[in-house]
Amino acid sequence: MRLAARLGFPYSAPSTPGGVEPVAAPKRTGVDYHSAWARRFPARWSRVVLLESVMRPAMRVLANPDRVGLDRLADLAARKQPVIFAANHNSHIDTPLVLTSLPEPWRHHTFVGAAADYFFRTRMTGAVASLTLNAVPIERTKVSRRSAHHAAALIDEGWSMLIFPEGGRSPDGWGQPFRGGAAYLSLRCGVPVVPVHIGGSGRVLAKGKRAPARAATTVTFGAPLVPGGDEDSRRFGARLERAVAALADEAATDWYSARLRAHHGTTPVLGGPATTSWRRAWARGDHRRPRGSARRRSGPTWPDLT
Amino acid sequence: MKALVFERNVARYAAAAVAGRLAPGRGAAHGPLALRDIDPPDLPGTEWARVRPRLAGICGSDLATLDATSSRYFEPIVSFPFTPGHEVVGDLDDGRRVVVVPILTCAVRGIVPPCGQCGAGRENRCERVAFGGLEPGLQSGFCCATGGGWSTAMVAHPAQLRAVPDAMSDDEAVLVEPAACAVHAARRATGPTDGPGPAERVAVIGAGTLGLLTVAALARLGRHELVVVTAKHPHQRRLAGQLGADHVVSPDELARTVRSLTGSLRAGAQLTGGIETVIDCVGSDASLAQALEVVAPGGTVEVVGMPARRTLDLTSLWHREVTLRGCYAYDDRDFDDAFDLVREARLGRLVSATYPLSRYRDAIAHAAHAGGRGAVKIAFDLRAEKERRLP
Amino acid sequence: MPRPGFVLEVDRSTPPILFHHGEGFRLTRLPPGRTRVIYPPEPVAALRDPDGAVRHALLNPLGDSDPLPALLRPGMKLTIAFDDISLPLPQMRAPDVRQRVIEAVLDLAADAGVDDVHLIAALALHRRMTEAELRHAVGDRVYDAFAPSGRLYNHDAEDPEGMALLGTTEQGEEVEINRRAAESDLLVYVNINLVAMDGGWKSTATGLASYRSLRHHHNVRTMRHSRSFMDQHHSELHSSNWRMGKVLRDSGVRIFQIETTLNTDTFPKPFDFLMKREWEWGARDRATFVATSKALERTPPRLARQIFQSIRSPHAMSSVQAGEVQAVHRVTTENVYRQQLVAVEGQTDILTMGLPYICPYNVNSIMNPILVMCLGLGYFFNLYRGRPLVREGGVLIMSHPTPWEFHPVHHPSYIDFFEQVLADTTDPVEIEKRYETSFAEDEWYRHLYRTSYAYHGVHPFYMWYWGAHALEHLGGVIVVGGNARAVRRLGFKPASTMNDALEMASDVVGADGSITHLHNPPILLADVT
Repeated sequence: MRLAARLGFPYSAPSTPGGVEPVAAPKRTGVDYHSAWARRFPARWSRVVLLESVMRPAMRVLANPDRVGLDRLADLAARKQPVIFAANHNSHIDTPLVLTSLPEPWRHHTFVGAAADYFFRTRMTGAVASLTLNAVPIERTKVSRRSAHHAAALIDEGWSMLIFPEGGRSPDGWGQPFRGGAAYLSLRCGVPVVPVHIGGSGRVLAKGKRAPARAATTVTFGAPLVPGGDEDSRRFGARLERAVAALADEAATDWYSARLRAHHGTTPVLGGPATTSWRRAWARGDHRRPRGSARRRSGPTWPDLT
Repeated sequence: MKALVFERNVARYAAAAVAGRLAPGRGAAHGPLALRDIDPPDLPGTEWARVRPRLAGICGSDLATLDATSSRYFEPIVSFPFTPGHEVVGDLDDGRRVVVVPILTCAVRGIVPPCGQCGAGRENRCERVAFGGLEPGLQSGFCCATGGGWSTAMVAHPAQLRAVPDAMSDDEAVLVEPAACAVHAARRATGPTDGPGPAERVAVIGAGTLGLLTVAALARLGRHELVVVTAKHPHQRRLAGQLGADHVVSPDELARTVRSLTGSLRAGAQLTGGIETVIDCVGSDASLAQALEVVAPGGTVEVVGMPARRTLDLTSLWHREVTLRGCYAYDDRDFDDAFDLVREARLGRLVSATYPLSRYRDAIAHAAHAGGRGAVKIAFDLRAEKERRLP
Repeated sequence: MPRPGFVLEVDRSTPPILFHHGEGFRLTRLPPGRTRVIYPPEPVAALRDPDGAVRHALLNPLGDSDPLPALLRPGMKLTIAFDDISLPLPQMRAPDVRQRVIEAVLDLAADAGVDDVHLIAALALHRRMTEAELRHAVGDRVYDAFAPSGRLYNHDAEDPEGMALLGTTEQGEEVEINRRAAESDLLVYVNINLVAMDGGWKSTATGLASYRSLRHHHNVRTMRHSRSFMDQHHSELHSSNWRMGKVLRDSGVRIFQIETTLNTDTFPKPFDFLMKREWEWGARDRATFVATSKALERTPPRLARQIFQSIRSPHAMSSVQAGEVQAVHRVTTENVYRQQLVAVEGQTDILTMGLPYICPYNVNSIMNPILVMCLGLGYFFNLYRGRPLVREGGVLIMSHPTPWEFHPVHHPSYIDFFEQVLADTTDPVEIEKRYETSFAEDEWYRHLYRTSYAYHGVHPFYMWYWGAHALEHLGGVIVVGGNARAVRRLGFKPASTMNDALEMASDVVGADGSITHLHNPPILLADVT
């Protein structure tokens, strides 16, 4: 820097002479960040390598995720169409957790809707987010047409999308109300929404913490939701929120009792009890499902009778 | 006269031990057994007779001695150099055919009064086998003074001679002595009385000569409800069936067969029930372990096949109150019954091959692998030896 | 558009034909001029929306039955019985058909507020399913919701408290089924129809029954009068089960039957060429075949078995119907015929077939010689409607390695059957008379059936009876490439190559006998006129 400054123009930036109107540099941060380069091949290859050889083992060590419900996506996988994954949001590791849990054919064909004001604040942070997560800026303070258009165009091209309808990480572990982005995009592009529930990520890296801690997490995939004929974006969004709540219930207890509660409308709400802050934190403790016996079984095993 | 002589020679004994472990029967080729031209044995007393063997069988105990796998227990009751061969049918000087009862009892040794066992009629348990007027030796064939069957001449006390009926062939006669062991084993396995009683179940492990003869003896006694025999080789299976076994199975099937026949359950490898009497005619680690596996609680395992130093887990013996009993040789009554058994069951067919003395190595190798080579009893045929003819 | 099956007359330009040979494949030339090969139909299209089809079936039942939601109410006792590990073959890819159907049923049950639900694996006298196998069949969600509380379990036919005797048919056949199923307000049976033998009243009357019930139709006389047992209208096995079904209905057991059929898309990529006709194999198919068969020759049998048993088949639901048992089964049978039926004219002197590595009774296990006999003389011989493919007194030639190997945990009674019973006699009538009762009532086998993962003591007998019709019908059976001792113990003749086998067959049927080869995979049902 100093050297460039001493050497002067053209090694250093020019100064504007007096009496001339300086040209406004085009804004390339925030929602105006162009991330298309990250979806071209050199970047895609490096992201594949990053996901498989760095993120996946890191998630296993840090979060030991239990991936459940993938069989619900079997029919959808056979049809090979793009899909919107809508998950609850508690922690920064939610995105790598879900990205490393996605099955084929969506695993390396998904982009993430990331907060424009947080991840794309500078061009550097934007580049890192685009490269590592295939992130696309989404405005969360106001829903502008631009990010919605952009996302819809990508989905039409065949990319699947991961979006966190809450809009941001929960401050206290309970869910925040869902915004309408996922439902709107599903209706507009005609693709199903797969509700995803991420449990336990708040214990790994909660909002406000600096360093991660090891904890067990669960990623539960729900049955794909397709908007009904006369369902509008708001009603569909409410259905989506209920689906994620049911998944949370299922992850906490078991599938059938969750179904029983869902049918009777008594599913525990994602937003938690409507009480004061310490009681909310207290109540959150009950949501932790005790880790029972290993749920992972791959393939048949010879019975052991010793 | 020509004789196979077993000499005391430590180096050769060690060589035999090594060879015997490499392949059963090889001890003969490398060990202290040699074919020699020696003087015939002197008569130890005037009443003794010279016997010229016609056929002399090879027994499992002989093979164990030659391979140096038999126990050192025998050392004080054996005198070197000796000529092996205790299953003998031979000619007396006056031409009569006799079978030799090889046990050297008090009567043979000239011990008067006889020891308690001989006096009670249990000659096989004679307490004086190393004493008296004769060199130590439990049987003819292990004593340097008597000679043995594997030669052209030996000597015998009148108490040791049993006449062979004219109708009986040499093959049948040579099997009388082993048949007597089998009769003794069958009798001991059957219970105190000879009279009719409840039918018993018995299993016989091993279908070599001893096993097959035991099956025949049990069948003749007729007191047994089922006789399960383990037989490794097809000819053994066939013979066991012909001689009267109800079930013939291969050794690895024994436990399963016993389980289903007795309706037992299984706790690990051990059956909860089993067969009341198991006769082990092999005497190896494996056969003894198998016998303990299939014997019923409170049952008896008769060890008829000569064992040596064995390693056994005796926990099941203790826990299930099992009796482990030895069974050696026979008494006079058994020997007489053996003649009937050999004749009725036509046991002469068990002699599979005979060899002259000059081919002793082949004979012993054949005997050591008799099962795998489709044979049962191998014997030396001395009828064609030149030296047999009277001088 | 899937092509139907057809019969090929072998001529000089026919390439060698594919034979299954246990865990492996062989290509064998069959003599031209006197051989015909029956090719199965290609797999029919799978349902595009299986979950939707299931839901539709549950809401629109066939026959005299209300839709399922109308049969569900809070506080009722609901029992869901499902087919066990012996179906489908090979095992399906996740999600299994049973998982889809059971989740749909449970969804409706949850909507109605039903709490008391039991799920039973209807395995009759087969072995119990392990946790992994149950998870595969019903899915992790259902397993974790019901198994920990003991509401998902295996049927136990030897539990004296757990069985209920419901009555006898007019022919004196006792009907005894699982007590929980008998006493439920509704019994939902989830069935997979792989072959035309499955389904109908057989699902409940056999699947949830005990030895006391089964012995009335699992016996030599019944099997000999089932010609064949794949054709329910000419099968004494089915007549008996239908009689028992009537007793079930009359005693008040309410059954909602859900039957599904699968298409025959058996092998996943890259082995799907094995189902193609040989002259349609491309270069890549041929290369894959050569590479695989050479590799399999060098693979130790245990590893080969593991590889094959872990194949997950892509076969998918081709139809689903629900409602009253007989109405449902009629439609299901139509669907099975649609997929599997091939018209064949006339019988031949010799029937040849390659036997695969899997049968209903050795899933995740070893195919022992008795199962080889059951697969060949039981299942494959009876894949006919009308008349058997081979004439009476003809010869059956099967290709299978027939190892003398038994799985000690799954098949303990088979070992004893092979060593003790078959060493004595191979005549099914004699075997039934002298040995069946002692095996059926043996306490040890009962213990293993109830607490371990063993087939019931009497099960090897049923395997033998399955081939009783064939044993009576055929003049001789030859096994190509099998363990000679094992083959002889079964009462058959061993041959090293197919040519030797055909030579040996000519001793029985005369020189130049005509040959039919049943090409599999996938399976077919021959309609012989």
